[in-house]
Amino acid sequence: MLVPKPSVVQTAGLCKTFKDFWRRPAVEAVKDLNLEIRPGEVFGLLGPNGSGKTTTIKLLLGLLYPTRGRISLFGKPPTDVAVKSRIGFLPEESYLYRFLVAQETLDYYGRLFRLPSRIRRERSERLLDMVGLRHEARRRVGEYSKGMARRIGLAQALINDPEFLILDEPTSGLDPIGARQIKDVIRDLGRKGKTILLSSHILADVEDVCDRVTILYGGQQRAAGDISELLRKTEVTQINLPNVSPETLAQIRDLVRRLEKKDILEVTHPRVKLEDYFLRIVEEAQAANIRTYGARSGGAIPDFLKKATDTGEETLIESLVAASHQGLPVTPIAPPPRGELKPSREVIEQLLHGADAEEAEAEEPPLKTSTREDGRKKPPPGALPSASVKREADAAVIDELLGRTSGGTGKEEP
Amino acid sequence: MSIVWAIARHTIAEGIRMKLALVFMALVGLVLVGLPFSISGDGSLTGAVQNFMTYALSATGLLLGLLTIFMSRSMSDEFAQRQIFLVMTKPVPRWQYVLGKWAGLTMLNAALLTAAGLTIYGMVHYLRATHPPLDETYDAAALKNDVLVARHALRAKLPDFRVQAQLEFDKNLEEGLYDHVPDFDAGEELRGLTNKHEARWRVVGPYETRVFEFENVLCERSKQKEIHLRYKTQVSNGPPDEIFRAFWMAGDISKGTPVYRLPVRHVQGRFHTVRFPADAVAADHTLTVYFRNENPYSDEPQFPNVIEFRAAEEVEALFVVGTFEGNLVRLLILMQCKLTYLAAVALFMTTIFSFPVACLGSFTVYVFAGAQKFLKEALDWASTDIANMFTSGKEFLVGLLHVVTAKIYWVVPSFGEYDAVETLVGGRNVSLAWVLNGLVWLVLVKTGIALGLAMLLFHRREVAEVSV
Repeated sequence: MLVPKPSVVQTAGLCKTFKDFWRRPAVEAVKDLNLEIRPGEVFGLLGPNGSGKTTTIKLLLGLLYPTRGRISLFGKPPTDVAVKSRIGFLPEESYLYRFLVAQETLDYYGRLFRLPSRIRRERSERLLDMVGLRHEARRRVGEYSKGMARRIGLAQALINDPEFLILDEPTSGLDPIGARQIKDVIRDLGRKGKTILLSSHILADVEDVCDRVTILYGGQQRAAGDISELLRKTEVTQINLPNVSPETLAQIRDLVRRLEKKDILEVTHPRVKLEDYFLRIVEEAQAANIRTYGARSGGAIPDFLKKATDTGEETLIESLVAASHQGLPVTPIAPPPRGELKPSREVIEQLLHGADAEEAEAEEPPLKTSTREDGRKKPPPGALPSASVKREADAAVIDELLGRTSGGTGKEEP
Repeated sequence: MSIVWAIARHTIAEGIRMKLALVFMALVGLVLVGLPFSISGDGSLTGAVQNFMTYALSATGLLLGLLTIFMSRSMSDEFAQRQIFLVMTKPVPRWQYVLGKWAGLTMLNAALLTAAGLTIYGMVHYLRATHPPLDETYDAAALKNDVLVARHALRAKLPDFRVQAQLEFDKNLEEGLYDHVPDFDAGEELRGLTNKHEARWRVVGPYETRVFEFENVLCERSKQKEIHLRYKTQVSNGPPDEIFRAFWMAGDISKGTPVYRLPVRHVQGRFHTVRFPADAVAADHTLTVYFRNENPYSDEPQFPNVIEFRAAEEVEALFVVGTFEGNLVRLLILMQCKLTYLAAVALFMTTIFSFPVACLGSFTVYVFAGAQKFLKEALDWASTDIANMFTSGKEFLVGLLHVVTAKIYWVVPSFGEYDAVETLVGGRNVSLAWVLNGLVWLVLVKTGIALGLAMLLFHRREVAEVSV
């Protein structure tokens, strides 16, 4: 008989009340919280400041004891020491030892997981690579900027290759590169089947990476569900097309009017996200070897962070059965589109020339790559090895970049 | 245990890198290296070495004690700066965390104590090489034979004065001397008679002789080995030059030992040492020593001096049982025992209180343990004085004070009982039994209790506790 895989986290009637000096109840931080996080999902814990997100996380980790209710992590209480070897935790602040260097920090936490010396060394190097701090590995953490400390915080959370990762405000204090990297890491780990609890009040972050969310307010659960379901606008249909001529657009509009008896609400050229644009500028600077003492773009997610199913005993069939049994199948989030990245001018020209340029691109040989001393591939100047670039761009932005005067708004009203 | 070791290593690294240990090391180093150049003492080499060792060892103990207390903030800092959140979300049993912190503090102390011990040893030899002795016969020999050795000290076996008191008491009772004494207390009378006989025995009149017997003199009974007889007298009606005349005789002809006659002209009120060959000890390991008061001196008949051996300054027979080096090592182990206990107390405090309060609490315990004898006497006096202020409830108040202090004494050991500095400086043996007592009582029992409580409290504590 196939047994459904148990929830990673399950709480029932969870309450936490903070008391005053005289032990009288003062603040009810969490009230009657029923939470379930299933294996392999990226779960978002949302809420404004003081809504009980961090308290909930501390309760899950055994840092606080519940006033009432029950918590189970992998079927055991959170105070169970063995359970903690399956968890990685990034707190809202990094809380690192200022006197240790980055390498020693990761080594220390590796020791606490009883990892052998060789494994600790290897993982530390790879994680430092991943968070872009390998070149600062011998610097004391106390000298790091907040963002750099945050990166080390993330690295320490992954040192044990956790099955369940708890990230409390993971992007707070990070520059856009770091924030993007963390989101990439979360997505990658999610694809590998890791279970992730992400607490944040930066809604865009949660929307980008989470499968399911729960929204807390005043310590109570106000909403919960699958994020794509919650955010879907069923009253509007969106069609993305390659750039088309005004004549074609007019025909499409006529067609819709004729068949659906409705008008197209809006025809627009989507904008490049500022995050993507910023990343491209920084990565160009990095490609030009402009010196920095801060964090650099990180490398790929290390190999040692295995797929969750690699370590579990569950077979694929079992996991599918378990998913269907639970009613909501856990499907990995598809990765965001990642086109081949081009030098900015080429991209802009290509975007300006539309389909012609695309056809020409198809015939172009792939971009040349050079090899670094350490044997890894080095991206060509201006290339964006990790950021995705959307092919559509706002004409005004393009004109501005090329120093031209824009002839239109880039937006056509129906 | 790998986790305990990881946390211990981390604590040591923190102590060194946060410069706290370095500051204390620098202070200890300054004291140890600077003292020999600042101590003059009585001008003798022996005095200089003894003074140096006394101050250096006491300062080392004090500074390392303070360092231990301050280093315990390593744990309260982890609470204050919330690094504990990361540690406690790793598979670290809480008892192992406390044990690791304690082990780290203890190892750091051990390393610093070893360094201090080596420095002290080096500086003693430096002093010996550079400080000219007053003379070779007495000063240099005294340093070698009375200070830089480990001698076992035996006190003379006193007669049973209670027997004599009982005899006198029975005689007085028979003669009816107590018949008309109002509220006669037999016990009090017996104690008084015992004290009287002891006081009479301790006084040696002109041309009188007193016999001192020592048992278990387990030395090598060889002519080449020496027995040191250390004594101090008070002389009534003292001579103008404060010098009394007497002679000691060591040995027992009835037990077949040679008898050595040792005439002395010594200053009253100071400790003196007379030496004689160890073959004066009988085969049954007993030693008999006679003291004869040779006053009044024939030329000074006007000074019929009475010589007194006071109870607080008993006559001792000493013989060499070990080396100075071994003695120093045993003393350092005893110091380490105290620091080990202090580290456990300091950690216990940090499981309850935050840094400044925990530090103050640990310091109070340190002071209490270090000055327990003095405080005990002071509290005894205080309890009586306070009780006398009240006519009602006096007994209750005195009883309460005694119960409270007795509980404190039970929890907090007396560091004075494990203070071997005076013993070492006096060239006496810091015995292995003493060290074992320290290891068992201070480390196993008292430290165990403090650490156990710390682990229990820490286990129950919410590490992210918020008091609103």
